[in-house]
Amino acid sequence: MPAEVKQEQSPSNATSLAMMQEPQEVVEETVTIEEDPGTPTSHVSVVTSDDGTTRRTETKVTKMVKTVTTRTVRQVPLGPDGLPLPDGTSPLGSYTDSIDRRYMKNGGDRFITPQATSTLTRSYNNSYNDSYGETPESQYVRHYGLHDGYVDLADNYGSLSRGVNFRPPRYPYMPNSYRPENSYTLPIRKDDYGHVAQPQVPMGSSTVDLNRSQPERFQPEPYGLEDDRRSLGPEEEEPYELEPDYSTANRRTLQGANRGRTHREPLRDGPRVRGYADDPIEAELIDERHPYIHGMYSAPLAQPERGSMASLDRMGGRRSPSIDSIRKDPRWRDPDLPEVIAMLGHPIDPVKSNAAAYLQHLCYENDKIKKDVRQLKGIPVLVGLLDHPKSEVHRKACGALRNISYGKDNDNKVAIKNCDGIPALIRLLRKTNDMEVRELITGTLWNLSSYEPLKMVIINHGLQTMTNEVIIPHSGWEHEPNEDSKPRDAEWTTVFKNTSGCLRNVSSDGAEARRRLRECEGLVDALLHALQSAVGKKDMDNKSVENCVCIMRNLSYHVHKEVPGAEKFQDPSSLQAPGSAGPQRKKKDDAGCFGGKKAKEEWFNQGRKNGENDKNYDTLDLPKRAEPSKGFELLYQPEVVRLYLSLLTESQNYNTLEAAAGALQNLSAGQWTWSNYIRATVRKEKGLPILVELLRSDSDKVVRAVAIALRNLSIDRRNKDLIGSYAMRDLVSNLPSGQQRPAKNLEEDTVVAILNTIHEIVTDSSENARSLIQAQAIEKLVAINRTSQSARETKAASHVLQTVWSYKDLRNALTKDGWNKSHFQPTVTATPKATKNGKPGYDDTTLPLMEKNQDGYSTIDQRDKDCKYKAGDGSVDLTEREPLKNDTNRKHYIRSNRPAVSLVDACDVKPQPVDSWV
Amino acid sequence: MAFTPGQPVTAVVQRIEIQKLRQGDNLILGFSIGGGIDQDPGQNPFSEDKTDKGIYVTRISAGGPADEAGLRMGDKIMQVNGWDMTMVTHDQARKRLTKKNEDVVRLLVTRKSLEDAVRQSMTRP
Repeated sequence: MPAEVKQEQSPSNATSLAMMQEPQEVVEETVTIEEDPGTPTSHVSVVTSDDGTTRRTETKVTKMVKTVTTRTVRQVPLGPDGLPLPDGTSPLGSYTDSIDRRYMKNGGDRFITPQATSTLTRSYNNSYNDSYGETPESQYVRHYGLHDGYVDLADNYGSLSRGVNFRPPRYPYMPNSYRPENSYTLPIRKDDYGHVAQPQVPMGSSTVDLNRSQPERFQPEPYGLEDDRRSLGPEEEEPYELEPDYSTANRRTLQGANRGRTHREPLRDGPRVRGYADDPIEAELIDERHPYIHGMYSAPLAQPERGSMASLDRMGGRRSPSIDSIRKDPRWRDPDLPEVIAMLGHPIDPVKSNAAAYLQHLCYENDKIKKDVRQLKGIPVLVGLLDHPKSEVHRKACGALRNISYGKDNDNKVAIKNCDGIPALIRLLRKTNDMEVRELITGTLWNLSSYEPLKMVIINHGLQTMTNEVIIPHSGWEHEPNEDSKPRDAEWTTVFKNTSGCLRNVSSDGAEARRRLRECEGLVDALLHALQSAVGKKDMDNKSVENCVCIMRNLSYHVHKEVPGAEKFQDPSSLQAPGSAGPQRKKKDDAGCFGGKKAKEEWFNQGRKNGENDKNYDTLDLPKRAEPSKGFELLYQPEVVRLYLSLLTESQNYNTLEAAAGALQNLSAGQWTWSNYIRATVRKEKGLPILVELLRSDSDKVVRAVAIALRNLSIDRRNKDLIGSYAMRDLVSNLPSGQQRPAKNLEEDTVVAILNTIHEIVTDSSENARSLIQAQAIEKLVAINRTSQSARETKAASHVLQTVWSYKDLRNALTKDGWNKSHFQPTVTATPKATKNGKPGYDDTTLPLMEKNQDGYSTIDQRDKDCKYKAGDGSVDLTEREPLKNDTNRKHYIRSNRPAVSLVDACDVKPQPVDSWV
Repeated sequence: MAFTPGQPVTAVVQRIEIQKLRQGDNLILGFSIGGGIDQDPGQNPFSEDKTDKGIYVTRISAGGPADEAGLRMGDKIMQVNGWDMTMVTHDQARKRLTKKNEDVVRLLVTRKSLEDAVRQSMTRP
């Protein structure tokens, strides 16, 4: 049913609309993909780009791994000032400072913090003296490989106990806060830190924080990761994506080792270390160190695990290892994947968490390893660890899952779901207050949500939790606003971004998903509040806003059919012949059908009855409500129009623009009372000029969404007149012309959308057809009709031409311009269907609304099949066009000086103008 | 009273002086205005040229000061106490009219009937 198609944007993707070839679901998918955190980000892009998808997904994943690095880097700027870390990081501050300074000192001499430096140095000196020549990886290696891998774990742990014996002398230096659990992991490191922790540096508090969580680091700036990388980049020129991490690590460790060298050298060594690792895994291990570092830090007190230290020490002591010597030592090796997975089930918690962290690292952008982990049944174990009481363990497990869930391989996602990973994630989300863990959880969910079959599962298990735990609190919306407190603004946190991204994906899963989201308590309210706050703060270009608008658009799809009670608002007059569809709908005689409804429905009824004629009807007063609407009702209240228009005016984000236009498109579709209001409200809020201006956007999909929105808006007769008078030129200018391609090469879908919009506008309006002729459109239309490679374009153009020719009073003018009937005939190649129609529109999507079948999807399909299968040349068209050039800045296009107001309805005299008594 | 942007406007104007009426703390003139450069001129029911963003008198309270002074609904206000009113925002116009320290406003207004009358008298030899 053409009408539907035309009217509504497919939920997920505005792009698809009228010409959507695939069923709606597919369309949605498109959206999803776009959104999908797991999108095809290439390594490179992930690494380099700081924005958008890329970052979101893998990057995030990486974050875990890189945490240590990140923090350090970020802190660097603070160093010079000598200022402590801001915010909640303070506990870390001391720790970080020392690291940074240390680093800095070696690296650039920029910050001289003698204390810290000396501390570090000293610690190295004290504990290892020469043995410290080892690079970090060697230590690491030792840790894992000392006993020939994990083959004999028992042995290994036996040695741990020995370690206990060995260690005790150091304990006195350790702050009390050191945590026992971690001791296993970090034996060697521990030593370092233990010393660092000594008097000069207030280590006690910092230790705690380090062990406990990375959250602190990230709290100040959730997306710090990217920033860090960036800052690292120029400074260090590191070749690897992961470098930040190990550079950090190296900084730390190498300093000791390289003390004698020049400042800069040690740093450079970091990356190189990786370079000479023969085995990639080994190399990565190096990177992975930070997690262990934390562990080591606290290790000393751990009773049971002490043994590990011993082994380490043993190694260190015996061998006074230099990098080279360690490297050559055949006795150690990295654990292989099965071993790592086996370690996930190790009785000792730090082993678990380290194994998970290592897994996360291994999986980073490595699809092969992800697959292997899956096949080795590692995923259920990781999921099981989500319920682990120790935050270190569930955090690391979550990090690993996030990396595993990222990417094209949907089997990984399914595997997580099959072992009940989704409910486990949701449980953890409910339980934890750790911001980083929440980021990881929601990031994982976002990744999972990109796979269609999982969307409903996520909705079933997590919708209300995500809404209550994340969306509502971060949106600033409050159930019962406190009167004296100012309404809070939304916080664009990572958690919010992830969660809204997840919801954005699941919101495209069809009618049932939409219903669930609409009825999810507080969700729509909170999203709207967040968007209002974005508009208020003029902060409308970020990803969170984009996600929110996309959700809103998807939820607005088919509201007129899907919302409970929608049938009561249906406008029966709309079922008349298409020509009469317009503002002049008959009043409902049967007031009874509103009877017994809520007060507001009474209002509608009243409002309508008061309209004595079309004009008055058109100026309809919006209903006053006794109580504010809430929940899904908010989706289609005329008030949202202003919000979307603000976004359309201010946002620079194409996706946001597209989604906002799509939302208007969805809302203005259909024949129910609310869409009448929406269409009128867009006009009254001066939205038409805004939309028309966006026809000049450089973004193809924005143009398309706007064109289809205009088409739906023109269901309103007055809108149709205004659009016909003032938008025609912009519509036509988007059409390709035969000889030269227009400035923009728009996709087929877009061209067809514009043609359909034009068709809608000229249908039943010879005045608009005249405007079309004046806009020099005939030449273009004829050219498309005759020469376009696209069957769909040809067909759409031919419909317009036939409609124009059907106005007999225009034929004179047309003939004068040199056109004759043959130009308005369908071309030979056109489908017979088009030819046989006196009124071409009827059988096509172009045509007015609701008659025929109501299901938009089927229409889309049909139409597509039509195009695809009937026209042999249909396949060519897409390749024909050159890619659209995207200007970086949409605002570059010249805003017209045309009186924008002219597009505003001149007849709505009553409600609009300001009138002041003086 | 059509005009072209950028071109001087010629209009037949009438001088109207209104003595404000004190009502409690308020000084009132007894009419309401519409229009202004920030308003949608297309919705001005009184203007001939629908792009005219001038200030128009939209309502007169019967028997009020403006009524008594001869102001009429649909009059276009050209000046207030010498201040131009053809290129002001709605709010600027309102403020100009409601200054607390001025008891009297002198308006220059133009109205269609005036224009017509003048045109007639000019065309009639």
